[in-house]
Amino acid sequence: MHEMILSELTWAVGDDYVQNNDADSLGHSIDYYWVPECWHDRGGKPTPPDFIVHPSTSKQVAEVLKIANTHKIPVTPWGGGSGSQGGALPIYGGIILDMKRMNKVLSIDPVSMTVTVEVGINTQHLEWEVNKAGFSTMHFPASIACATLGGFIAHRGTGVLSTKYGKIEDMIMSLEVVTPTGEIIHTLPVPRHASGPSLTELYLGSEGTLGVVTRATMKIHMIPESRKFHAFLFKTMHEAMDAGSKIMTSRLQPCVVRLYDENETEKLVKRVLGIDKQGAYLVFGFDGPEKIVDLQLENACAICAKTATEDLGVEAGQSWWDNRYKFFYPPYMFHMPQAFGTLDTVATFSNIENVYWAMKKTVNENFPEATFIGHFSHWYDWGCMLYARFIIDEPPEDPTEAIALYNRIWDMTIRAAIKEGGVINEHHGVGLKLGRIMRDLYGPAFTVLESIKKTLDPNNIMNPGKMGFPGKGV
Amino acid sequence: MYIDKFEDAINACRFCFMCRHLDPVGNVTFRESDIPRGRALIADRIRMDPANLKNRDFIDTFYRSALSGANRTHCVSHYDEIGITIAARRDIVEAGFAPQKVKSVADKLVCVSFSISGKGELLYLGKNPSLYPGCMTITGGDPGKALEVLGFFNESQKVLEQFKQKVAESGCKTLVVAEPSSYHFLKENLSEVKVVHCAEYLLEKSAGSAEQRKAFYMESDFLKNYCDSSEIASELLEKSGWNLLPFGTNTEESTAVGEGAVVFDELNPELCRKLCHHVVELAGNDTKTPFVTASLYVKQVFSKYEPKIKIMTIEDTLVYEG
Ligand SMILES: Cc1cc2nc3c(=O)[nH]c(=O)nc-3n(C[C@H](O)[C@H](O)[C@H](O)COP(=O)(O)OP(=O)(O)OC[C@H]3O[C@@H](n4cnc5c(N)ncnc54)[C@H](O)[C@@H]3O)c2cc1C
Ligand code: SF4
Repeated sequence: MHEMILSELTWAVGDDYVQNNDADSLGHSIDYYWVPECWHDRGGKPTPPDFIVHPSTSKQVAEVLKIANTHKIPVTPWGGGSGSQGGALPIYGGIILDMKRMNKVLSIDPVSMTVTVEVGINTQHLEWEVNKAGFSTMHFPASIACATLGGFIAHRGTGVLSTKYGKIEDMIMSLEVVTPTGEIIHTLPVPRHASGPSLTELYLGSEGTLGVVTRATMKIHMIPESRKFHAFLFKTMHEAMDAGSKIMTSRLQPCVVRLYDENETEKLVKRVLGIDKQGAYLVFGFDGPEKIVDLQLENACAICAKTATEDLGVEAGQSWWDNRYKFFYPPYMFHMPQAFGTLDTVATFSNIENVYWAMKKTVNENFPEATFIGHFSHWYDWGCMLYARFIIDEPPEDPTEAIALYNRIWDMTIRAAIKEGGVINEHHGVGLKLGRIMRDLYGPAFTVLESIKKTLDPNNIMNPGKMGFPGKGV
Repeated sequence: MYIDKFEDAINACRFCFMCRHLDPVGNVTFRESDIPRGRALIADRIRMDPANLKNRDFIDTFYRSALSGANRTHCVSHYDEIGITIAARRDIVEAGFAPQKVKSVADKLVCVSFSISGKGELLYLGKNPSLYPGCMTITGGDPGKALEVLGFFNESQKVLEQFKQKVAESGCKTLVVAEPSSYHFLKENLSEVKVVHCAEYLLEKSAGSAEQRKAFYMESDFLKNYCDSSEIASELLEKSGWNLLPFGTNTEESTAVGEGAVVFDELNPELCRKLCHHVVELAGNDTKTPFVTASLYVKQVFSKYEPKIKIMTIEDTLVYEG
């Protein structure tokens, strides 16, 4: 049977674009989720796919999904594999639908300021292409060079300038999607309308469980005349949070605000930026016409100056921007044998500090072997995102034990966050990692999502076992 | 195993995605195995269980790499991901698992016999001796770089020894090298003579030109990413009246169509064709503007796969009358 399916798939996409060899299977059995990395590190072999398929057109995607429906085999879309939630892992084998070959910029509309693109494009390549035309996507995630636009759409991802330019769901105008049964559909061309619920929104964050996103039209922006940064040091995270929330609620429109707790200021800010200070480091930036930027900066600085212990100035702010991706390169990023997880949570300003303290308390009281650190990265008019992390320098050597401990930390901290009004999560998605928490998070509303899944994907071929939906064969 | 010496790089790259966008092979095959992460994962599997060294898929992957230095240059810590691949190839060769096509190429490369002609104070290694009046010329083949990157380290050293002997016989204290791969290799391995790239030598001699011409310059991987001296070639070209047009969307990506792997086309002709085509696409499918490269290898493969496009080496541009 394997050979029969292989023939069908190669017929659909071409001989060079279906692989089932050990080298590619290894690469596709591990994404950026800590669990398969740990498994590999300890000599284990995470589940490989049976076939890796690289379609080049939406029609080919449709063909592959029809083949998968006929044989009732799972299909897992794969963008760059940089997702941290195990979303792209072929946990039941089957087909990996690697989207990277669908990487063309189809058109740039300089009048409406949009770009239409195949979503397998690497987001750094996309940014370079639109830069060449004199624009920017303003989508600058730390994984800009690792991930595809489709991956960001699937995970509702975000970039460092989200505070002004929005998350991916704010950037997308419309989508082309191949449904699980192989129809090619288009959502309405504009994101603001009153023609029923938004189908675009349905697919944003659907993580390959409801279909395959193949094309997107996305907003683009003029490159701003000026972008400036400033940093302050506060005695405690609470005072810095108070200043940050005032900047936001006074509607000053920064493009970025980032606040590091005392622990992270001491450890990471020092290591990566060389700023060796005790307290909480707050950085913000504004962009646009220089005169406006200067005025906004002046106002934001005035807010901070009231309670900050030190004005770190422009240089300490600019240095953060210049090194913003450095945090994510080895050896600055946490790495094996450490166990680590990003407890990404979002909440209103009223709740976010309680969420932070509840998570920290849970980690400190229950897992003395773990360190808890955090920063607040994506800020809105109403609240912000907590990028909390736990790190265990010496987790158990046995991978089963290490993974059990890892999962226990997640289970307890996430539930503590939900109790305080936190939402899990803001931009990393659910995947395999957090599927089991979806019911707690949504309550009875989860049955609505389940019904949509059942209706759209009757054979449950699309990324089974992810986002809290049933696994294969259920 | 030799890969063990690259433990740091393997540990860093195996779970890192930060330079995937720059691997020239990964950018045309779209395969997860064709980026530094993919190759490091394989090396890691081999490190854990050396029996994996004979896995055909793993071996093919290592020999599919273009050994571009773009990824290592871009990496903030400059992890030597190329080193992993070359070490893995050496492990494969020394364990007797080199594929037949690799062995055949290596067999040809060991059959060298170097000779010296002409008279002068300087010695020139390249194909355009007429540009170097008053220099001696050494000919006979690749001085060992190609064998080294194929994993035939001992054979490479033997060839290098023969080359060194001839250089010593010449009595010259300066060696001018045209091919960037040989330049990099000899600069690292010849301590007895001063090794300079031909662009450096020609720049000194050049009177410049008032004539203005346009070209796309395909940066050499060796000059830019291995030797950190990309400016010598562009300075010479600009002095000679060549206006180098911005090319592609960025300056990080390698457009050297497998130059880093020296004999890439002999092992991977179809892939090499794709790399050439990708470069033409990056230049907006412009078939009128000529391309310039520092590498004869690049000129040869580009002429083979993109015959409609005019391509010259830096040396060719000095006698170009178009
Ligand atoms: C170093 C590093 C830094 C990071 N920083 C950020 C950051 O700043 N902001 C951020 O948001 N994330 C960040 N991430 C996480 C990751 O990059 C994002 O989650 C990204 O959206 C994943 O994209 P990908 O193309 O790699 O998708 P993958 O990991 O391949 O897939 C993710 C999910 O999307 C699905 N999918 C992929 N393509 C499609 C498609 N075309 N149609 C339908 N489903 C699809 C997959 O099935 C899977 O469920 C970071 C990751 C790394 C490694
Ligand atoms: S070379 Fe650097 S950026 Fe590239 S995979 Fe290795 S560690 Fe990551």
